[in-house]
Amino acid sequence: MTEAARARLPWKTFLLCALAWLVPASGHLLLGRRGRALVFALLVATAIAVGYALDGNLHRVVEGQPLSRLATLGAMGMGLPYFLLRWGLGYAGSAAAAGYEYGTVFLLSAGLMNLLLVLDVWDISTGRKE
Amino acid sequence: MNHLLFMTLYAAMLGVFFAALWRRDARAQFKLFAQIFGSLMLGAIALGWLLYFLPTGPPAPIP
Repeated sequence: MTEAARARLPWKTFLLCALAWLVPASGHLLLGRRGRALVFALLVATAIAVGYALDGNLHRVVEGQPLSRLATLGAMGMGLPYFLLRWGLGYAGSAAAAGYEYGTVFLLSAGLMNLLLVLDVWDISTGRKE
Repeated sequence: MNHLLFMTLYAAMLGVFFAALWRRDARAQFKLFAQIFGSLMLGAIALGWLLYFLPTGPPAPIP
């Protein structure tokens, strides 16, 4: 990569997106979108809390099941909470729980929502969106 | 466990999320919220009634 090409790379945007991924809604907060940041933070936190309370599956890679890789990437989209749940609390979910399927959907949705937020932060930061 | 409660909560959450993400004007946000929420709720209920007419099989194995 040439110096000129490297100079054009939006490092601040990359950092902002990385932070937005790690801590849900933090990207919008840093960009000054306080109201929306609060709404997004509440939504992602609620999805994680409901999924956790229902003992849903926090996806992880299962050998021989290629789709589990995609699901894991999706769930990891929630950032820091994924790692805290998985390694901090040793959370795995319980297939025998009555709310297992619902919980799994809530946890996966939390990850996917946060990934969309990261893309939104990218668009706002690069001026493609207000 | 209340299935309808979780379905309603999920539909409401997605409605609020996409309305806040994709729209700026409050009126447009409410319209999109109503569209998403209504589609998810009515779609789920309609699909549920369609499944009702399918023959039942043995319970699915727990993974």
